[in-house]
Amino acid sequence: MKTNKILVLSFAVMAMVMTSCSTEDLEPTLAQSKDVEGSITKVDNLYSVLKGAHNVLTDEEYYGRDIIANNEVRSDNCFANGSSGRFTTNAQFTYNSNTGYIWDDVYEMMANLNIIINTDLSTLEGDLDYGAHIQGQALILRALGNYDLLRSYGQQHAGGTLGVPIVTTFKGEDLFPSRSSVEDVKQAIYTDLETAFGMMDSSYDTDKTLVSKYVAKALESRVAVYFGDWPRAVTASEAVIGSGLYSVIDAGSYVSSWSGDGGSNVLFELAFSATDNLSSNSLAYIYRYPEDEPGGYGDVQVMDDVVDIYDAGDVRLDILGYQDGGTVLRNMGKYPETPNGTDNIPLFRYEEVILNYAEALLETGGDALTEINKITSNRNAAPYASVTKEDILNERRKELIFEGFRFDDLMRTGQSVDAVGLTQNVIQTLTYPNNLFAWPIPLAEMNANSNMVQNEGY
Amino acid sequence: MKQKFAWMLTPLLALCISFSYAQEKTVSGNVTDQSNVPLPGVSVVVVGTTNGTQTDFDGNYTIMVNQGDVLRFTYVGQKTVTRTVGAGNVINVQMEDDAQALEEVVVTGYTSQRRSDVTGSVVQVDAEKLSEIIAPSVDQALQGNVAGLAMSATSGTPGSVSNVRIRGISSITAGNEPLYVINGVPVGNDNVGASSAYSSLSPLAALDNNNIKSITVLKDASATAQYGARGSNGVILITTKSGKAGETKFSINSSYGFQRDAITGPVPLTAAQRLELGGEALYNDGDAATKQDGINQLLATSYADWDAAGRPEPHWDRAVRNDAAPVQQHSISAAGGGDDHTFFGSIGYMKQEGTVKGPSFERISGSINFTKNLTPSLKFTSNNQGSYSTQNAFLETSAYFESPRSAKYFMSPLYMPYNEDGSYNLFSGSLPNPLYLLDNNIYENRLTRVISNNALNWDLGKGLSYGSVFNVDYQGYNYRNYSNRVYGYGAANSGDAEQYDRTNAFYVFQNYFDYSWDVNDDHRLDFKVLQEYQSNRRYFVGGYGQNFADDGLYYLDSVGTPSGVSSSFYDYYIAAYMGLVKYSAFGGKYVLDLSYRREGNSRFSKDNRWGNFWSVGAAWNLQKENFLADSDVVNNLKLRASYGVTGNANISANQYQSLFGYSADYNGEGAQYVGSFGNEDLSWETSNTLDVGVDFGLFNNVVSGSAGYYHRTSKDLLLDVPLSLTTGFGSQYQNIGELTNKGIEVELNFNIVNTEDVQFSLGGNFATVDNEVTELPLDPNGIERTITTSTTRIETGHSVREWYMPTWAGVNPDTGNEEWYINGVDGATTTNFNEAEAVFQGANAVPTFTAGLNFNFKYKNFFINANGYYAGGNKVYEGWHLYLNQPNGYSVFSYNGYTSLLDRWQEPGDIARNGKFTGGATGWQRHSKYLYDGDFFRLRALTVGFDLPSKAVERIGVDKLRFFVRGNNLFTWVKDDNLLYDPEVDVDSQGGDVTPGETGLETPPSRTIAIGVNLNF
Repeated sequence: MKTNKILVLSFAVMAMVMTSCSTEDLEPTLAQSKDVEGSITKVDNLYSVLKGAHNVLTDEEYYGRDIIANNEVRSDNCFANGSSGRFTTNAQFTYNSNTGYIWDDVYEMMANLNIIINTDLSTLEGDLDYGAHIQGQALILRALGNYDLLRSYGQQHAGGTLGVPIVTTFKGEDLFPSRSSVEDVKQAIYTDLETAFGMMDSSYDTDKTLVSKYVAKALESRVAVYFGDWPRAVTASEAVIGSGLYSVIDAGSYVSSWSGDGGSNVLFELAFSATDNLSSNSLAYIYRYPEDEPGGYGDVQVMDDVVDIYDAGDVRLDILGYQDGGTVLRNMGKYPETPNGTDNIPLFRYEEVILNYAEALLETGGDALTEINKITSNRNAAPYASVTKEDILNERRKELIFEGFRFDDLMRTGQSVDAVGLTQNVIQTLTYPNNLFAWPIPLAEMNANSNMVQNEGY
Repeated sequence: MKQKFAWMLTPLLALCISFSYAQEKTVSGNVTDQSNVPLPGVSVVVVGTTNGTQTDFDGNYTIMVNQGDVLRFTYVGQKTVTRTVGAGNVINVQMEDDAQALEEVVVTGYTSQRRSDVTGSVVQVDAEKLSEIIAPSVDQALQGNVAGLAMSATSGTPGSVSNVRIRGISSITAGNEPLYVINGVPVGNDNVGASSAYSSLSPLAALDNNNIKSITVLKDASATAQYGARGSNGVILITTKSGKAGETKFSINSSYGFQRDAITGPVPLTAAQRLELGGEALYNDGDAATKQDGINQLLATSYADWDAAGRPEPHWDRAVRNDAAPVQQHSISAAGGGDDHTFFGSIGYMKQEGTVKGPSFERISGSINFTKNLTPSLKFTSNNQGSYSTQNAFLETSAYFESPRSAKYFMSPLYMPYNEDGSYNLFSGSLPNPLYLLDNNIYENRLTRVISNNALNWDLGKGLSYGSVFNVDYQGYNYRNYSNRVYGYGAANSGDAEQYDRTNAFYVFQNYFDYSWDVNDDHRLDFKVLQEYQSNRRYFVGGYGQNFADDGLYYLDSVGTPSGVSSSFYDYYIAAYMGLVKYSAFGGKYVLDLSYRREGNSRFSKDNRWGNFWSVGAAWNLQKENFLADSDVVNNLKLRASYGVTGNANISANQYQSLFGYSADYNGEGAQYVGSFGNEDLSWETSNTLDVGVDFGLFNNVVSGSAGYYHRTSKDLLLDVPLSLTTGFGSQYQNIGELTNKGIEVELNFNIVNTEDVQFSLGGNFATVDNEVTELPLDPNGIERTITTSTTRIETGHSVREWYMPTWAGVNPDTGNEEWYINGVDGATTTNFNEAEAVFQGANAVPTFTAGLNFNFKYKNFFINANGYYAGGNKVYEGWHLYLNQPNGYSVFSYNGYTSLLDRWQEPGDIARNGKFTGGATGWQRHSKYLYDGDFFRLRALTVGFDLPSKAVERIGVDKLRFFVRGNNLFTWVKDDNLLYDPEVDVDSQGGDVTPGETGLETPPSRTIAIGVNLNF
């Protein structure tokens, strides 16, 4: 009797002791993730993070849709028709600090880029030259992010001088940064691009869906044009042209190039595919209905008079089209695959570099005419006999329409813009400069960081 | 862990060994009660052994013993008797009634206690009350029956999750859901739905209400500290039914009813009204010379077809309605047992349709609860519940254009639901015809849940017992969605489909010793030491694809473009050691409760994994004092107080680590990104709760009740502290911040008439909660880091998420413009919204007081029960007003508006709620115009019934036959006339998918009328 009892008791005590759980037994499994510390050991890991940064670019709040659509609906190219209620706030300039935009996405990308940029290459396994190239790619994307922040939130068109915070480390010392000046951010962009160009080797550039060496120069020319740094724009553009890697796409291929990937005119495009796309949140889905009759979103509609900016026979006219029984003017040709948005989105085209170059030459007394006619001659458009600033801006509009350039062109040339209502009615005209030309810093940022200064009027 | 599992089974095996023992001699005897009536079923055990037997129907027993052994005689309701075996062979025993043992026993977590021994705030709701609400999940029945418990459903869609708040909000960003415990074992109770866009599905909906014996709600620290780190938000204990020795009893419960929405809700404009407002907008905007000219313009354009068709009205609100939606539930159970075993088994079925076309819920369930005395001192218990539920969900957590509830308001009234031949009208536009989609698309949630609770309890004698429990809670969930090829959002891709499968497996092991030490007749000490280990694993796999070759194919094998796959695994673990001591002194006059729990949780880094939680409780039963013993007035009076520390760790897994995520991909290749900011210092959030109260019964319980005060300080909050977005992250969990909840709770019951023929009682409860944030993190400039949204702000000195927005000043009678106060309070106004300052609006979304009212009346065989609920002191915000309830282009041109818009400014001098109509569209401007008082009263349940008289019952050979008519949510009163939606607004964000406290397009509660029958035989 007694032995039984003792036996059971001892079993019970043993069970409690043996099942007693120590701290180690409470270790959670990391099935889908890894500790940041200690998991970058190879150059391949940098490549993986770089792709992660590209993936942020494809987000619908960033280059996947919003930054492009936002700049189109605020220009004379497009307006928001209220089909699904999207982009009306943007088109009518009624946004406030609660209206979501790119701020969080850009800094999310920066966090990943800064991990790449600040990695000590000598600690890694693999081809270290390639490692340096990847760091250069990260620097270009950081410059692009800073440029996107600056043209969105900077006060250069709102009568102020404040730019955006420059963040160069992940989990750095200063987690409450304040805004740098527009000038400082611009210089930081140039510095990143120059450093990048110097450390990259274009033999590693085999894939147009990843940012490449000459994108550094293309972006530099874009930024220089934006800020009117004309000599810099000339040399940066010449670097791209001089590489001989790219060409203006010809008239016959212009429209079809939008449904094909990696054309000769493309420096850098974002990858989308049948299995990796934004479906109803895609750029295509906001530009048109999936079928002719209203359905889906299709909020971003083309202003009726846009059809008049092209000469008859200009192949770019074929980008335009009508829906809803021929009543609604649409962007039918750029990012044409509609239900899912499976077409790649080019962010840097050679044609833009030519146009940047032409404008910079015009401003510095060079031969703009030859350059601009490289565009018209490949579009079945009438060549220019002489060229003015206005001609170049118009040509940029015709060539780069629906790609998110127009609003910036209006801004940098100090033009007023219209706030347009649901029925294409002009609600008001905003004269330059204007508080509304600088986006509000997000409320979440203002609340978390008392070093942050809000733009005027919000 | 594998090895550990093996060890955990060892004691079970050991206890199963059959024991051999020496047999010296046979003792027999007879056991009777105080009045010499033989007692059958008395347990007779040789103390310190497993040797024992039970008395037969005549009270006789026989047992083999050694001389000198001690026999213990135990029986429910009788004082335990011990006798030492002497030389004789006969031991007769007369037992005495044990008055204390007859007292109500309350389940208080790991133990059960007599009501008078309870030192905390504990409310038990029995099966009768629970049955008053006809709903798939039993928690619905708690509202109005527990003081201080506020409830809000995520949706009225059958099977949806309800959010429960006990004594307010104790945490800002870690969870506020109470812990659910079924038969003593903590279980998971999160929404099992895979897609947050669709209706939620509660794991509680997998339990058949008819199998539940009672629900106990633990509120104070002395009761909840046993659950340590998960006790802060209160604990809800569910106890299932068990059998009783005796002949097998059958019970059949059945009801069938019809439902509609409990409230009418906003009424959409007719096409004619919308035309008039549209014309007016054109005129106001200067696009038409007169209002009539505006109307004519519209008749010539967008309204032309409608005009030509004879101006039909589609009435989308009626078109999507599921008239008289049926609800039915049926269950049959059998309960019984013999000398050494009891059982309860049941089969149940429930089916409920939603109040709009489409959604429904169906469940088939079974249970078997079994106990067996393997030996006289070794008892085996197994409680098993299994069910299979199917929910037809729909897109409802936002204004999804496919949703019938969105269509009700967003659909332009120029579209008719049906063609003249009765077929669906497949019109174009961003909102497809939801009626066609509901017929041809699939949105299906399926849940298989099995809970198996198995325990062994070994009575080691001398008051010592050992127990071992193993519980598995398996939740197998499958979700599938199909959008058809022909029409709607799937058409562009020739149809699309997705399917997800998730398995939640929760295991709990408990080993414990109980020891009762009767110091003498008046003093008793109860000890419990327990060790617990819980493992929670979640396996997920899913796929998505497009492009079907033909109609009628719904699964991923048939898709042309299999465009997405995903799978993942998450786990978390909890381990705990616990000790409980209860000291009942001087015959239960004084009771002292102590508890201590040490708990470890995998959600924290190694250094911060373990936390200590404890409580002290005391009670003084004054009615047992001499000075009250003979009182004619006071028959029960208890003072109780408790204080303790509980915790909360209810944040998602792996938050303490800074991690790379790999769920990203780019250009067909895997990619990585920093997925979490991490915080190695993360640890427990703790709550210190003080609870004092008095329980009383007067005039032989004609008046009874309790009153109490509580004060809970929650500190080191697991706060999702906003970061500067420039870090790449929006927030980081930190242990920072403090908030308090305090309030009073009163329960009162009046047994006004209690005769054989007439019984009449009234009961009620009332509770308040005063919530205040007392500390928040500071930034380097010493400035408080408030958490502000467009409608709320978290700031010290205010309640959590108090409404915070510009204050609407009304419509200017001269201009027709809506205006706001520049300073947010009074004085100068502005028409520029960005100029108007946001200010606190004085309340948050959680009711600051709740009240329940019970009414029970019985005359002979007829009875009426009623249950009402009042909540108030909070404010709710109207969602979607930009599109549906503002005088702009959305409501008259793009979508449709409510008839409340007809009250609008038309000409100078007009006093109106809405400004002048315009065809333009503003951005979101959230302000106090759309913030309403949340006060409401609802008649939750009303039951009128008839029990067949006993003579008739006997004649047909049954024990009980009851017929009843039951109504749920028959009446709702809402204080604020402008609050058109249901006032019971979800106070939880559902993981960020909805704005807490904002009205949405989810299904409101349903008004149900059902007839039912209970038959026992």
